[in-house]
Amino acid sequence: MVKVGIVGLTGCSGCQCEILNCQDALLKLLTLVDFALFPLAKDGEFDGELDLLFVEGSVSTFLDKEKLLKLREKAKILVAVGSCACYGGVQAQRNDEAELEQMIREVYGKWELPFELFKPSPLSDFVEVDYFLPGCPVDKKQFVYTVASLLNGVKPFFPKLPVCHECKLSENECLLLKGVPCQGPVSYAGCGAPCTAKGVGCQGCRGDCDFPNHQEMLSLLTQRGLSYEDAVKFLKVFRGNSFKVRGLNEKGA
Amino acid sequence: MRKELNINHLTRVEGHGAVDIVIENSRLSEIRLRFTEGPRFFEFITRERLYTEIPKIVSRICGICYVSHRLASVFAVEDAFGVKVNRGIELLRSLLTVGEYLESHSLHLYFLALPDYMGYPSTLLMAKDYPNVVKRGFKLKEAGNRIMKLIGGKTVHGENILVGGFASIPSQEELKKVRRELLKVIPEIEATLFLFDGLDYPDFTSPHTLEMCLNSPSPCLFSSEVWLSDGTTFTKKEYELFVREDVSPYSTAKVSRVKGEPFLIGPLARVNRLFKEEELHPKVSEAVKRLKNTFPSKNSHLANLARAVELLDAAYRGVELIEELLSLYPFEPSVEVNPRAGTGFGVKEAPRGTLYHKYTFDSSGRCVGANIITPTAQLQSVIEEDLKAIVEESLEAEGEEIKKRAEVLVRAYDP
Repeated sequence: MVKVGIVGLTGCSGCQCEILNCQDALLKLLTLVDFALFPLAKDGEFDGELDLLFVEGSVSTFLDKEKLLKLREKAKILVAVGSCACYGGVQAQRNDEAELEQMIREVYGKWELPFELFKPSPLSDFVEVDYFLPGCPVDKKQFVYTVASLLNGVKPFFPKLPVCHECKLSENECLLLKGVPCQGPVSYAGCGAPCTAKGVGCQGCRGDCDFPNHQEMLSLLTQRGLSYEDAVKFLKVFRGNSFKVRGLNEKGA
Repeated sequence: MRKELNINHLTRVEGHGAVDIVIENSRLSEIRLRFTEGPRFFEFITRERLYTEIPKIVSRICGICYVSHRLASVFAVEDAFGVKVNRGIELLRSLLTVGEYLESHSLHLYFLALPDYMGYPSTLLMAKDYPNVVKRGFKLKEAGNRIMKLIGGKTVHGENILVGGFASIPSQEELKKVRRELLKVIPEIEATLFLFDGLDYPDFTSPHTLEMCLNSPSPCLFSSEVWLSDGTTFTKKEYELFVREDVSPYSTAKVSRVKGEPFLIGPLARVNRLFKEEELHPKVSEAVKRLKNTFPSKNSHLANLARAVELLDAAYRGVELIEELLSLYPFEPSVEVNPRAGTGFGVKEAPRGTLYHKYTFDSSGRCVGANIITPTAQLQSVIEEDLKAIVEESLEAEGEEIKKRAEVLVRAYDP
């Protein structure tokens, strides 16, 4: 039987919850795969080889790193699940603004903690990742599609189209045209645009689409009432380590 | 003789935890509950962010109780800016909480706790022998998820929960559908209540003396007054004066005490209060008369049964909330928000216990300071005291059995 692992590093467990929300798919999968390692839902330690491993969360501690390196050795295919695993997550949004020591002191009032920490980092800083399923949380349908493809020996494929594409398909009204700050033009689709369907601008939780034009996005956002600094911070929330705007210091370029 | 028992990775809990037990000469000499979750610096990453970003960021503290974190932060921001929402918005927020409780409590009961009492390593592995029980778990979770998706936009981290209200609200037809679905799951919840009443809970009395929760007849209805079981009540502004936090030498969660004591929060504290104050929902009151277990209880394992009681409360409240909501249509989905300098406070009953958010803003609405006290941090002391008591009662048992009892106990808190 195919052995599947689902584990979490530093995160909110929201992606694993979303996986547990795939009820019909899970009930079918149970007859095809062995969830050998799934600490959120199953007891027991498992030390054997895994055919397929899903990892949620960022690498924030020495324990995370140790666990990840060990699991990578055991796993034939490693899939990063959610934006923490793919980009570092919300906890990485100020990595470029402060030193680790400052972050720890501000929260704990002291520098010593019970174990070694890093700045929150994506899995790919430490190991090779075979597939990335970003999103905060991961999209259920994409998880099911990935498992189904891999079980059938097919490579899952994720076109990095902008969210605008899915808004058009869903016939959502364009929020940028209505003056609402929305990151749709630079954000990676695949979620089905649920936020814009509710009238909330895209928050960019899945990171960048291919060839994102951040400069143009920033000027669209500043035209909709955000200051340049606030607009940059708005784009940074989920992009973690991956966010770099060309010529960011040349304000309003 | 010295014996060390280590549970390095607690399974079937949402975060990452470990328990170290040291027994010397047949006496417990040391016990530590360590949360090994990496820190995520929420009080730091919210700084310099606009108030509109705060609920979205703190939502990510917990993927299971994100509605509570999100709403506690929204309450705090609205408190800081002097924003008052309309009744419709308030009711929709309560209905979101109904969804959250249905999802979170049934996830915990069916997927995290139940395997302990049924003798399986996982609910997923129960599917063959108990297909209908597992399907009921999924069904209840799904009922909660649908409500959160309908109002919030997504099942987890719905972005439509905003300062001032919502970008859009469900139609009356959609709400009527939710009401029908809630009525349909009530018998399933009653079945859950009797399933969890019939489980074989270990006989145990927690040594804690103090219990705390918000002063409200239901966790789905909001209050900003905190209730202590010794008769004291305090306001959300006084929260930090009562709940004192310290940094732990071995855990990434801070440790809190009230009046120098560990204190119980969460479903058992809330349900105990409802029984003491005779404030149970009348229909829930009818159902609990038929239970063999009784409340108030100091058996920490009965937090599981308390969750089932709260599931039933959530469903009945949901039906009533929708009835009132329907009478209010049409109403504005949001109210105007004008940032100003100041500090605001928000408290909310998350499924696992009372939650506190405080933010300070500058005049342009950027966050200059934050403090968040989570249920897990507040529970650390009381769980440790419980662990001490249960290990002391179990010293004659085998190491594996002691570990098992400790795990089942920690899990009952859903930390």
